[in-house]
Amino acid sequence: MNVTVYSTSTCPYCKMVREYLKKRNMDFKDINVAEDKAKAQEMIDKSGQMGVPVIDVDGQIVVGFDKAGLDKVLTK
Amino acid sequence: MIYDLIIVGGGPAGLSAAIYAGRFRMKTIVLAREMGGTVVNTHLIENWPGFKSLSGVELMEKIGDHVKSVGVEIRQAEVMEIKRKDKNFLIKSDGGEFEAKTVLLATGTKHRKLNVPGEKEFYGRGVSYCAVCDAVFFKDKIVAVVGGSDSAAKEALLLSEYGKRVYIIYHREKIRAEPINAERVAANKKIEVINNTSVLEIRGDKFVQSVMLDKPYKGKRELKLDGVFIEIGYDPQSELAKGMGVELDKRGEIVMGRESQTNVPGVYAAGDVTTGSFKQAITGAAQGVVAANSAYDYLNKK
Repeated sequence: MNVTVYSTSTCPYCKMVREYLKKRNMDFKDINVAEDKAKAQEMIDKSGQMGVPVIDVDGQIVVGFDKAGLDKVLTK
Repeated sequence: MIYDLIIVGGGPAGLSAAIYAGRFRMKTIVLAREMGGTVVNTHLIENWPGFKSLSGVELMEKIGDHVKSVGVEIRQAEVMEIKRKDKNFLIKSDGGEFEAKTVLLATGTKHRKLNVPGEKEFYGRGVSYCAVCDAVFFKDKIVAVVGGSDSAAKEALLLSEYGKRVYIIYHREKIRAEPINAERVAANKKIEVINNTSVLEIRGDKFVQSVMLDKPYKGKRELKLDGVFIEIGYDPQSELAKGMGVELDKRGEIVMGRESQTNVPGVYAAGDVTTGSFKQAITGAAQGVVAANSAYDYLNKK
């Protein structure tokens, strides 16, 4: 399972997502979109979203710290 | 296991109570849906004594570490229902059931919505409720903060570090920011306050492109912009309290006494969810601490 978290360093919900994934022993790639403009655009293209966090789980997009939404795509 | 005290809520009120409860050697657990509470959305806190300036996240991390150091667990769980079980309380959550002799409701508030067309459609596509999260996407862009509270002023100040122009759109004459923040807003060349004006609609195609105002600004009712940050206040999250017979006022806030007690013996309340008029991290923390002490006294007298 490939998990990518698009986040910024100041965003509290991004932190909650990272902590939740760690709690579930998930490996994930964390991308700081504040520092990487190309990745920020990639995130916007993928999700149609201009807000963080955005989580990409094997191409399935979850927006925000949505525990139920994350559980759904992570248990597939 | 029966807990002495279960604290519902992971903000300043709940966690400050947890520090005291731990030191009182009460068997305590904190159940929090979101660790840190709404204060984590604050970019800078400059009025917590002892810290001239720190972020909401930093403050809550420090308080969270403090809680753990006194042996109280903070568990991520959403509480669905609290009801009586004989003399105790049964707390049902998505992380299982818990039983406690006393309960502290520090359930905080949730963001109020503007309820205008386009708000829901463009959420995450130019509409945001969290400047500290999303400000980076508006570098050199035009944004507006809707609202006139101190939080709205602080969001505008943060956004001015990224955007080229920041409007504060407020339906009253004068913004209600803390005077020190009002001075900063007035001195900031990027920020413009549009007073006595409301937003009626948010428009765009893929992303936000403009808002419609209820009266013209510089001759036009349509204001072109790229982002709208909504900061028009918070509503209490008091459904749990209501469900267990705790008295609420007409705004839905938990009626809290001087000792942080509610009308239900053994049930306490603290923080933004209560009738306390000055909603600050520090006042919530103080109410939480008083609640921990009241619960301790209550158990000792039993």
